[in-house]
Amino acid sequence: MIPLLIGISIISFVAMYAAGDPITIITMGRPTITEAQRQAIRIYYGLDKPIPVQYVNWLSNILRGDFGISFGGQPVRLLIGQWFWPTVELQLISILLSVALSIPIGIMSAKNRYSKRDIAVTSVALFGVSMPTFWLGIILIIIFSHNLGWLPSAGAIGVPYLWPVFGIADPSLDHLAHLILPVTVLTYVSFAQNVRLVRANMLEILRSDYILAARASGLSERLVIYKHALRNAITPVITHLGISLGSVVGGAPMIEYVFNWPGLGRRFVDAAMNLDFPVIMGITMIITLMTLVANLIVDLSYAFIDPRVMVE
Amino acid sequence: MTEQGRTKTRVTDRSSASQWAVAWRRFKRNRAGVAGLVMVSTLILVAIFHGFLALYPARPDDRAFTPFYRRDTAQPPSLKYPFGTSAIGTDVFSDVIHGSVWALYVGVVATAITMGLAILVGAIAGYFGKWVDNILMRITETFLVLPSLLLILVFVRVFSISAGTGTWQFLGISLPPSLTIVVLILGIFNWASNARMVRGEFLRVQDLEFVQAEKALGASNWRIVFRHILPNILSSIILNATLTIAYAILLEAAVSFLGFGDPYTITWGQILKENFSEMRTVWWAEVFPGLAILFSVFGFNLLGDSLSDALNPRLRE
Repeated sequence: MIPLLIGISIISFVAMYAAGDPITIITMGRPTITEAQRQAIRIYYGLDKPIPVQYVNWLSNILRGDFGISFGGQPVRLLIGQWFWPTVELQLISILLSVALSIPIGIMSAKNRYSKRDIAVTSVALFGVSMPTFWLGIILIIIFSHNLGWLPSAGAIGVPYLWPVFGIADPSLDHLAHLILPVTVLTYVSFAQNVRLVRANMLEILRSDYILAARASGLSERLVIYKHALRNAITPVITHLGISLGSVVGGAPMIEYVFNWPGLGRRFVDAAMNLDFPVIMGITMIITLMTLVANLIVDLSYAFIDPRVMVE
Repeated sequence: MTEQGRTKTRVTDRSSASQWAVAWRRFKRNRAGVAGLVMVSTLILVAIFHGFLALYPARPDDRAFTPFYRRDTAQPPSLKYPFGTSAIGTDVFSDVIHGSVWALYVGVVATAITMGLAILVGAIAGYFGKWVDNILMRITETFLVLPSLLLILVFVRVFSISAGTGTWQFLGISLPPSLTIVVLILGIFNWASNARMVRGEFLRVQDLEFVQAEKALGASNWRIVFRHILPNILSSIILNATLTIAYAILLEAAVSFLGFGDPYTITWGQILKENFSEMRTVWWAEVFPGLAILFSVFGFNLLGDSLSDALNPRLRE
């Protein structure tokens, strides 16, 4: 895990700075800046040193909890601290909802293969993986926010007025109203991916010999499915969750952008647009770290699900 | 279980049919797959005949702004403008039709790069094994965990700043530089999962008898890889390429929508981005380009899913 983290930080660091001197790129369109001023900025951010030295400096600062200063002038650590929780809130709710929905529905779908319900589930799932996430968000905003006026279209809290839910203007209800649309979109997209996985695995498992043996020994259908088949069917889903958390959090920029959600993804888009390298590196590292921690949790959870795996 | 019994009895009498003929027969029976094929063919035909189908020429031609000059900016869909007109005064229908060319360009070229890299890495890792495999798979894992969309955004931004606005010549075809940078970067960041797939297939095939026999006969590595292993895993490569095309189209739309795309090449994501801030008024300019993306990606995904059913050796007739 640690070598992987260092590997990723090296890849992103070197690739970013190898593209050219950031100060030159950022100030390209501004003829009034003199070369001496550029050099002063470089020295201020430590960009005048060779890349390996910069990397070691950056890494040792990170280890001390210092993410540097953004090109906008604020410490990156404080910025990330502000943006971190809204993203985690959005992601956690949607992941939990999508897992809770996709496992039973995927099993139901595999059990009744080619039934009307199965075809409905697979089509809904295929739509989910074929749709640009942000476009679904736009459509929901157009319908529920612009036309029906039921839900707010942007932000995490009502500004300047709280959004009334059933006529009650309360901060927590207001926040809930802001959550509904982005959570719906994220849940649907992640549900679509997971349900396809659960269904495919379940189909394969239902054909295997040990399920036949379990059925032959006279176990009830419920016990066969939920005790013998389920454990094997959800292992790949959990693996997928662990691997994809990076792209899930990474996929959030579109959703956070569409709904103007004050999270890491939304700010990352701004930082990438302005080439604010300290912020970019900080967010990349935080998201990578989250992915790796998720992977670790996944590896540990195998021990609970699969009795063949032991934690040493 | 009865299903399995039935399929087993039918094995013998069709031994002469080639792998591809069997796959095509299975594919034809799958209505979803045929629908996918029709959708993808439609996309290709629209892209070929975009000049005839569109009502107005593509930008940067000034005639693309005809609705603007007629004071028809932000008009809802009508007979005159089937998909309405955009907030900047172009005909959304024409924009969508012209966009199909770029969707195919993005999908096919990015996938070619992805698959090329994936086959290279997967083949070397799978064929040579041992420490080569070990190192390459560690690198692959690193790329899998990488938050790729975030890095794609940064890379696209950095490289498009230096790209300029002219055109690039490649084999006599002029390519839009910014979009081509997007395509290259999308291709480069997506190879990891496909490389794992190719490696797995290599490991599966190279233990089979015919490869062992060829090795015993003293064939060169090149011959074994290109004449014997690659043709046998071609079906998996084609099916994964189909799904990768769909994914690349989606990613490009996202990159363009977030404002990192090529402002001089009007892809579907670009249309969505141009009208996003005005979507309260010009909702049609958000709906129709999105439907075009959905149609194409859905088509490629249907095709890929059905191919995987048709080519799956475990379900052989």
